[in-house]
Amino acid sequence: MTSSVNLRELALQIILAVIGQESYSHIILAEVLKKYQYLEKRERAFITKVSQGTIEHMIELDYIIDRFSKTPISKMKPAIHGILCMAVYELKYMDAIPASASCNEAVKLAKRKGFSNLSGFVNGVLRSIERGLGQFKYPQKNENETEYLSITYSLPKWLVALWQKTYSGEEIEEMGKAFLAKRFLTIRVNTAQTTVEQLKQTLSEKQIQVKEDETLPYALHIAGIDHLEKLSEFLDGDFYVQDISSMLAMEEAGLQEGLTVLDVCGSPGGKGLYAAQEMHGTGMVYCRDVSAKKVQKIKDNISRCRVTNMKAQLRDATVSDAADREAADIVLADLPCSGLGVLGKKPDIKYRMNPDRIQSLIQVQRSILDVVCNYVRPGGILLYSTCTIDRMENEDNAAWFQEKHPEFELEIQRQILPQEYGCDGFFYAKFRKTG
Amino acid sequence: MAIRQIRILGDPILTKKCKEIREVNDKVVQLVDDMLETMYEADGVGLAAPQVGILKRLVVIDIGDGPLVMINPRILEFSGSQTGDEGCLSYPGKAGVVTRPNYIRAAYTAEDGEEYEIEAEELLARAICHELDHLDGHMYVEKVEGGIHDAEYEEKK
Repeated sequence: MTSSVNLRELALQIILAVIGQESYSHIILAEVLKKYQYLEKRERAFITKVSQGTIEHMIELDYIIDRFSKTPISKMKPAIHGILCMAVYELKYMDAIPASASCNEAVKLAKRKGFSNLSGFVNGVLRSIERGLGQFKYPQKNENETEYLSITYSLPKWLVALWQKTYSGEEIEEMGKAFLAKRFLTIRVNTAQTTVEQLKQTLSEKQIQVKEDETLPYALHIAGIDHLEKLSEFLDGDFYVQDISSMLAMEEAGLQEGLTVLDVCGSPGGKGLYAAQEMHGTGMVYCRDVSAKKVQKIKDNISRCRVTNMKAQLRDATVSDAADREAADIVLADLPCSGLGVLGKKPDIKYRMNPDRIQSLIQVQRSILDVVCNYVRPGGILLYSTCTIDRMENEDNAAWFQEKHPEFELEIQRQILPQEYGCDGFFYAKFRKTG
Repeated sequence: MAIRQIRILGDPILTKKCKEIREVNDKVVQLVDDMLETMYEADGVGLAAPQVGILKRLVVIDIGDGPLVMINPRILEFSGSQTGDEGCLSYPGKAGVVTRPNYIRAAYTAEDGEEYEIEAEELLARAICHELDHLDGHMYVEKVEGGIHDAEYEEKK
């Protein structure tokens, strides 16, 4: 007989790939779910919740485990560390699972993974956590705020310290909460093809939860989808998955019919599609990115959403192209960034990013801005945006750009925090070329 | 020790009834070792002798709690039921839903030649029932409810 699929084993596989930095959580999760398509919706939801929840709360889970285990986490085998984290996540966050089941399944999984000799250790640590979790003392806010925020919301200490330079403890706490909150998938309705009312109705008929957005009339929040890629409304391009924050930035872009729009780092194409649809088939959007794979994604989305006034192009944004000089009415520069605004969707970013990488990203952002600002025609717009919350990459870069390129005037600049709309953290700065 | 070739569904040997083992001799012990190695290598949780082409009443099982070797096994008692996915090393990459007893009590001879009894539930009960069927020339595909499906979907290019 072959071994049947063990859901926790699949979740562990995802967690270990993320801890080992072999893959991003959203990518490996999608791969696993694709491979095991035959599993029931409930089982797929379990794998998703356990793996993503464990990854999201890893700093807190490690803190708990380290207080109860005589062996420090740094000395544990990765599989044992992953099994313990997953079980503690279940104990703390999944009330529907009896504590004894979480412990027993962890012990079995340790054996299955070839650690029969450590099954007693796993059992011992988990039983004492199960007993002690109720009285467990977290770092206190008034004693050490950095540690309190770091452990409670599973944010690395360097990141808390970085945000403390700009934001108050209360604001960071709200960010931490917003990133960990259960979120809906935000979609933008393709109003060229359907209406908000109609899409709402067809999705509701498929038992998908639909909520209207309070700010943007063409945005919906949906939940309860099993296979997005199999949903006919998705395949037909009736909607596009896009965060509210990204739509808010595009609201400011000054779009009108007949313009030439250049998206210099455009994959997978969300902002480009927004622009193309907003111009109702007129004008042209050139959506570029640096690799063939990314360009293919743009192409897929163009054909799925059936827009005619948008083209995908393979270009490196850091390389200047004389032909594009002053060619665009609007240049969209949504540049590579530290991604600290999307921790709610991609929690492993917080474990991968670090201050050194941020420094090198700032250099990339500045060199791209230097190049692409030449593509804006006089009177045109440069919209710089990032999906991060970091003063150096955002406000400081905008100030740097303004100083270096006085022919541009900063019209609007805004840092959106995740707690504002239950969305991503996002930054945009709109410059108009005056000279 | 050696890895043996696993027979695949369609091989007539998988439909034959197996013979009792009269004596646990060196040859049987060698076969047990080979079957365990073959099962572990194939990432299985159970293997019956006819699956490696030997028509003897012998199965090996390991559901993660260590190896269980059963010579001339017999189910003495069973109760309850469990319904779930099952796959077989003789039908790779496929699975199907099968209902089995949730509890069984079985008797068998171990590698040491002594008689034992075992009580099993859930996965172990399922594995014992599945392997013992092989000894009488039966496979789970005969008992599947609702059709066979792929155990994994590989990305289609």
